[in-house]
Amino acid sequence: MSFTSPVFLGFILFFLLVYYLLPRRLQWVVLLAASCVFYISGGIRMIAYLLITTLSTYLAGRLLGWLNEKGAGLSQEDKKLLSGRLRTQKRLTVFFAAFLNFGMLYVLKYWDFTAHALGRLIPGSNLPVLNLAIPLGISFYIFQSIGYVVDVYRDKYQPEKNPFKFALFVSFFPQIIQGPISRFDQLAGQLTALREPNFDSIKYGIQLTMWGYFKKLVIAGRAGVLVDHVFNGGTKYDGSVIAFAVLFYCIQLYCDFSGGIDISRGIAGMFGIDMTINFRRPIFAVSLTDYWRRWHISLGTWMKDYVFYPLALSKPFGRLGKFTRKHIGGTVGKIFPTSLATFIIYFIIGIWHGANFRYIAFGFWNGIIITSSLILTGFYSGVRKRLGISDQSRLLRVFRILRTAFLVFIGRYITRAPRLLTALSMLGATFLNFHPERLFDGTLLTLGLDKGAIITVLAGIVAVIYVELLQERGIEIRKSLEKRSFLVQWLAILVPLTAIILLGILNQEYISAEFIYAQF
Amino acid sequence: MSSKKWIVIFFLSIILIFAMVAGLNILVDPFGVFGDVLMDWYSYNITMNPRVAKIKYLDRHYEEYDSYIIGCSATSSFPVNELNSYYGASFYNMIMYGADMKDVELTVSYMLENYIVKNLILNIYIDNGVYYDQGEDTLTNNLHPKVSGASRLSFYGKYLFLNPRYAISKISSRRRDTYLPQPFDVFDISTGAYDKRARDAEPIGSLDEYIRSYPVFADYPEARIEMSQTDYCIKSVLTIINMCREAGVNLTVVCSPVYKDYMAYFDPAQVADFYTKLAEITPYWDFSMSSVSWEPRYFYDGTHFRNAAGTMALARMFGNDRVYVPEDFGVYVTKENVASYLETLLEVPEITAENYTARVPILMYHHLDYEGNDTTTTTPETFEAHMKALRENGYTAISIEELVSYVDGNGQLPPKPVLITFDDGYLSNYELAFPILEKYNMKATIFIIGSSVGKSFYRDTDYPIIPHFDYEQAREMVDSGLVSIQSHTYDMHRWQPFEKGAARTSILKLEKEDENDYIRVLKEDFLKSSAEICENLGIHVDSLAFPNGQYDILSQAVLTDLGVRVTLSVERGINTVIKGLPQSLYAMKRLNMNESIDTDKLLEALCS
Repeated sequence: MSFTSPVFLGFILFFLLVYYLLPRRLQWVVLLAASCVFYISGGIRMIAYLLITTLSTYLAGRLLGWLNEKGAGLSQEDKKLLSGRLRTQKRLTVFFAAFLNFGMLYVLKYWDFTAHALGRLIPGSNLPVLNLAIPLGISFYIFQSIGYVVDVYRDKYQPEKNPFKFALFVSFFPQIIQGPISRFDQLAGQLTALREPNFDSIKYGIQLTMWGYFKKLVIAGRAGVLVDHVFNGGTKYDGSVIAFAVLFYCIQLYCDFSGGIDISRGIAGMFGIDMTINFRRPIFAVSLTDYWRRWHISLGTWMKDYVFYPLALSKPFGRLGKFTRKHIGGTVGKIFPTSLATFIIYFIIGIWHGANFRYIAFGFWNGIIITSSLILTGFYSGVRKRLGISDQSRLLRVFRILRTAFLVFIGRYITRAPRLLTALSMLGATFLNFHPERLFDGTLLTLGLDKGAIITVLAGIVAVIYVELLQERGIEIRKSLEKRSFLVQWLAILVPLTAIILLGILNQEYISAEFIYAQF
Repeated sequence: MSSKKWIVIFFLSIILIFAMVAGLNILVDPFGVFGDVLMDWYSYNITMNPRVAKIKYLDRHYEEYDSYIIGCSATSSFPVNELNSYYGASFYNMIMYGADMKDVELTVSYMLENYIVKNLILNIYIDNGVYYDQGEDTLTNNLHPKVSGASRLSFYGKYLFLNPRYAISKISSRRRDTYLPQPFDVFDISTGAYDKRARDAEPIGSLDEYIRSYPVFADYPEARIEMSQTDYCIKSVLTIINMCREAGVNLTVVCSPVYKDYMAYFDPAQVADFYTKLAEITPYWDFSMSSVSWEPRYFYDGTHFRNAAGTMALARMFGNDRVYVPEDFGVYVTKENVASYLETLLEVPEITAENYTARVPILMYHHLDYEGNDTTTTTPETFEAHMKALRENGYTAISIEELVSYVDGNGQLPPKPVLITFDDGYLSNYELAFPILEKYNMKATIFIIGSSVGKSFYRDTDYPIIPHFDYEQAREMVDSGLVSIQSHTYDMHRWQPFEKGAARTSILKLEKEDENDYIRVLKEDFLKSSAEICENLGIHVDSLAFPNGQYDILSQAVLTDLGVRVTLSVERGINTVIKGLPQSLYAMKRLNMNESIDTDKLLEALCS
C-alpha cells in the first residue's frame, strides 16, 4: 500500500477513527493491527523476515536485560570475578543478534552483488545468483532493532517485556518503509501511551502530511519524469542538459524522501505520536559534515552512536592514533584515525543505499571531501584571517552553502547514473561539453515534461526553499498562521490542497488528441 | 480558528475542490460522456474518444440515420454521401480508430437494439486478426458501459475526476477552431467519418514528389506481425452475422485495401488462413490486395487508403462504370472461390503506370503584343512558332474537359497532350492569339477576371490598363469550339499599386481577416465569376487559375467544396494526372511562356 494510493488514505482514516473510539488501553493494539495490515498488504511472505528480526532482537533484549540485572545484583567481590564473563556473554548476545540480522540483510540485499563482482574478479567462481525479493523497509527495521539491542547492552534502559509491544516498536507502520530510524526510548513509550483525541496534534499531523504530499506528488513526481528521461538516454545529451537533469534529481530526491518522511511523521502525529525528525533543511548546510547532520539525520546519528564512536574509541583505534601521531605527525597524524573511521562510516552509508559500485564510490566521495576539509581546516581559517573575513560573515555563509550544494550535486551524478562509468562520462560531459545554449533552444521541452510541468517543479522548489528559509530563521510558520485571519488560514489550506489534488492526484497521464492523430 | 474547526474546514475544502473539478468536467465534458450541454462540440468529443462520444451523439440523433458502416480507422475512407446514393439510405460512419472486432461486435449489438438499422457494412482490416479486445480501460479508447456492460460507477468516476487539463484543453481549442479540421476535431460530425477535407485538398502529382512528401513510402519500416487473434475475430464476425440475420439487417462485409509493404509484415499462411476462415462464414468484397495496393498515391499513409480509393471500391461493388476502377480492384469472395482467389492474392500484379497516369504539360500565356518581353508578353510570331512546333512535334492541345474525363476514367488522352492556357483575358488573346489557334486548330483555355471583362481602365479608376476582351468577343471564341473560358476569380486579382490600403491581390485570406468572412468572400467571388461566365457563354465553370499562382489548403478546400475540379498554379513543372485521384488536378503546374522562349526552349521544357 503506497503512501500515495487512495486506499492508504482510507486506511488511515479508518484506523484513526478506531484508535480514538476504542477504549484507550486498546490503542496500542490498534496500532499493531494497523501495522500488520499495512505490512501484509505489501505481500504476506515478507512478514517472515520481519518476524525473525522482531523475535531475535526481542529475545536478545530480554537476555541482555537478564544479564544486566544479574550483573547489578552481584556483590563487589563477585563482580570482579564474574564481570568479565558477563561481558563476554552480553557481547556474544549482541553479536548473535547482529550476525543473524545483518547476515539476513546481507544475503537479501548484497549477495547477488557479491556473486556478480566475484564472478568478474575471479573468473570461474560461480556463486549462485539468488534474485531474492528485498522485503519492504528491511534496512530500516533492522537498524532500528539492532540499535535497541545495543542500547540494552549498554544498559541505557530496560528491555521491553511484552513481545507484542516490542513488535509494534519494530513494525510501526508510518516509519517501517523509509524510516526515520527511531530510538526505543523515544518511541516505544509513546506507542503504548493512552491518548485522548487531541485536535491540535491531528491538525498538525494533517498539515505535515499535506506538506509531504505536496513535495512528493507535485514536485518529486514531475521532476522524476525528466530525470528518468535524461538518465535513460545516457550520454547522448550535452553537459548543460545533464546538469539540469541532475539538478532535477536533487530536487526529486529531496522532495520525495523528505516528503515521505513528512507524511510518516504527519500520520504518526495524527495518532498523537511525535517521531524523530529526519531532515533539517539540508539545503542550508555549510559543509558536507553539516549536510549529513541535516540529511537523513536518523541514519547519521545511528551510524555515529553505533559505529563511529565505538570504532573511534576502540582500543585498536587508540593505538593507531598514538602510532600515527608519532610516525606521521602534524595535522594528518592527528586526524588519521578519525579520518579512517569517517571513511568506514561513509563506506557503510554508501552501501546501505544499495548494492552497487556506484554507492561505494559515493561513500568514498563523501569520505574524501570530509577528510580533506578536516585537513584543510587550519589552512581555511588562515586564509580567512589574512583576508579579514569574519567567521560570522553572511557572505561566507552563502559561499559555504553554495560550495556544499555543489559538492552534493556532484555526488548525485554517482548515485543516479545507471553505472559508475556512465556517471563519470556524464560528469565529464558536464564540465567539458557544457553547451549552455541547450538550456534555451527548446531541448528541455523534449525531456518528457512540458513547459507547465517544468515551471511547476521550479516554482514548487522555490516555495519549499522559502518555507525552509523562514524555518531556518526560527519562524514557526504554523504557529504564526494561527494568528492570522480566517481567510488567510483557509487559503493556507486551500492553495496547497488544490495544488495536491489538481497537480498531484488528478494528474493521470494526459493523452493529447494531437498525439493520437499525429499523422492526420 | 480552533483546531477542531480547522479540521472540519480541511475536510470541507477537500470536498469543495473535488466538487469543483467534477463540475468543470461535467460542464466542459471533454469526452462528451455527460451530454456536453454547454459546448455541444461533438466533433471534439468524438476525436477524444470515438467509441463513447459517437454513442452519446447517436443516442440523440439516431433517427437521422438508418444505415451504418463500422470498423477500424480504414472504414472512414468509404465516403458516406456515395453510400447514401448507392443504397438510397442515410448512413453513419461508425469508424472507431484502432477498433478490434470485440469493440465492433459490442457496438453492433448496442446499435441493433437501440437504433434503426436497415443496412450494415462491416469493414474488416487485416489488423483485426492481430488485435482483439484491447485498450478497454484508457480514457481515449474505452467503450461506453452501455455498450460494454462494464461498471458505470468506475466509468463515470473516471470522467468525473479527470485531469483538469482535458477541460482546459477543450476550452482553449475552441478558440483555435477553424473551418478545416485540426488535430483536436478530426471528425465530421454529421457523417461520423474522418474529416479529410484538408488532406484531400493536397495536390498529388508524380510518384517522386509524393514519396518526397511522405517518405514512409520510400523507406517502409521493417517489422513482422503475428496474426494470433484470427479465431477470436472470426467468432465475433459470426456473432455479428447472426445478430444481423435475426434483426433482418442487410449486412455487407468488406475487406479494405492494404498497402503492399504493410501486407509484407504478415506471414502469407496466416493471411490465407484469415481470409479463408472469413469466407467460410460469409461472402465478402475483398479489396485488400490489388494493383491499388502497389500505388502509394492511393494511400494517406501505410495503413490508411484514400477516400478516392474508397470511391473506387464502392463503384466496383455497385457496378458504377462512370467511375474509374482498376480492373483487378475488388473481388466478391465466397466459400467456393476463396481457394483460387487466395492463390493470386499476394502475387505482384502487372502495373503499367502508363495505363492510369498521364504526363500533361500546361503552357501559360498572358498577353500578346508586337513587342514581347521576357516576363508575360509574347509576340504573335513567337506564339505562332510555338503552335507550329507543337503541331509538328506531335503534340495535341487538349481541353480541361478532356483532362477531367481522363482522371474520372471516362476518356483517354492523346499520346502527347498539352494544355494551352491564357491568364487574365486580354483583348490580344482574341485579336492576335485566337486567329493563330484557329489556323493550327489548337484548343486553349482562357482564365478571365470577372471584374475586368471588356475593360481598358483599372476598376473604378481612370488608370489605363492592357485592354480586356468582352463577352461578345469571348462568345465568338467559344463558338469556334477551340476556346474555353474559365475563372481567374471575379475580383481577387487586384493590383496593389492602383489601390489605397491592403487589397485582395490573391485568393489567400488577408492578414487579420476573420476566417468565416474570408470563406464567404471567396465563395461569393467564385459563384459570381462562374455565374457570369455561364450566363454569357453557357459554360459550366469547373476550373480556376489562382491569381499570382498563390493558394493554400484552405482556398483549395473551399473551391473543392464549390465543385471546382481543376486549379492551376504558376509553379514551374510538368503534371502527372492519375486516374481515380481528383487531387492530381489540384494546383497544377505550368510552364510560363513569353518572348524569351523560342521553339527549342519550348520543346525542351515539354520534355523536362
